[in-house]
Amino acid sequence: MLNSFSYYKPKSEIEIIETLKSFGDDAKILAGGTDLLVYMKQQIAGPKVLVDIKGVPDFSKIDVDSGGNLIIGAAVTCNDVVENQYIRNHFPVLATAAKTIGSYQIRNRATVVGNICNASPAADMAGAFLVLDAVVIIATEKGNREIPIKHFFVGVKKTSLQQNEFVKAIKVPADYKDAEASYLKASRIKGHDLGTCNAAMSRSKNGKIKIAIGSCNITPVLLPDFDSNNIDLANILTTAMNSIKPIDDLRGSKEYRKHLVQVFIKRLLNGKGHSH
Amino acid sequence: MYLLGVKEGCGEGECGACTVLMNGKPVNSCLVLAVEADGTMIRTIEGESKNGKLNPLQESFKKHHATQCGFCTPGVIMSATSLLERNQNPDEEEIKEAIEGNFCRCTGYRQIIDAIAEAATLLESEVKK
Repeated sequence: MLNSFSYYKPKSEIEIIETLKSFGDDAKILAGGTDLLVYMKQQIAGPKVLVDIKGVPDFSKIDVDSGGNLIIGAAVTCNDVVENQYIRNHFPVLATAAKTIGSYQIRNRATVVGNICNASPAADMAGAFLVLDAVVIIATEKGNREIPIKHFFVGVKKTSLQQNEFVKAIKVPADYKDAEASYLKASRIKGHDLGTCNAAMSRSKNGKIKIAIGSCNITPVLLPDFDSNNIDLANILTTAMNSIKPIDDLRGSKEYRKHLVQVFIKRLLNGKGHSH
Repeated sequence: MYLLGVKEGCGEGECGACTVLMNGKPVNSCLVLAVEADGTMIRTIEGESKNGKLNPLQESFKKHHATQCGFCTPGVIMSATSLLERNQNPDEEEIKEAIEGNFCRCTGYRQIIDAIAEAATLLESEVKK
């Protein structure tokens, strides 16, 4: 059962900020609701006020700005990303990762920005956005601020969002358009489970390799950049092992996770990750 | 309204028994607040038969004994309806993917897949006529 709450659906960014300011910690942002409503039903979360951001038309858009950067609004669903032809052609790793989230029904509601804001160590979009050097666009009282996604995750389900702020969009730099990138995920059952572990990789046009690992630390982990013209596999694997602290849980042991990460990194470097 | 077709199973977006089409897209209705549905078009299992006559997909479920205990059926049929509306000729993998969010605890997925596949063939031949 849900406790009682008030529901607001502002029509603009400013109204959202004003609503957040009025209710402070009592308010929670509602986008797809596929995490928040579950937490509310389980009494893990009990916001007195829900601020539905789906009333702002711009937030449902997938756009390319004048600099060629991809902008994904906060209300864009996972299936919007999976089905978007521009993303499939130029940033296919985002579609690959989005398609692994939940089931078809969940992907029709869950938003990619929500997946980031929920800040699960297992977040499927985190790795893809990390290796594309994405930037989180945050609406604040004083206008927008932008932070690299690698500085967005600060703990289990914790982000660097401050009070009266919310994420309005995520930006993927034009530099990563058509860059090679791929994503691999292990889970016990497709459609009904979080990942046991996941890994993403990109190879940028200027010769940098980025690798991100999920479900192996308190936040998704981005490894330091590697040189794609001089790949030292042993060094990459050692760096990866030193950067993760997987735990034993019902989805797998820490040894299994460490093994999977190494297998995934080798596959990704050999071009054997999934892509559309 | 006395519409009892939509079933609440888990209530957490896992089982898909509560699947309805919201503006044509299948969603877990247990994770949609009523107020969020304001102004949208909601289709449930009740909208699928006309004048007491089952539609071809429902007939196919009957023929293949795909309903089994019947609890998951209203949700499965809405997921399958959406699949057949966006893809008239799905292969088995596409059918499985479309119903990945629908649990059948009788676990008779074979009959469900067969029923959807035959309905797709029937609908395709109807379109050709």
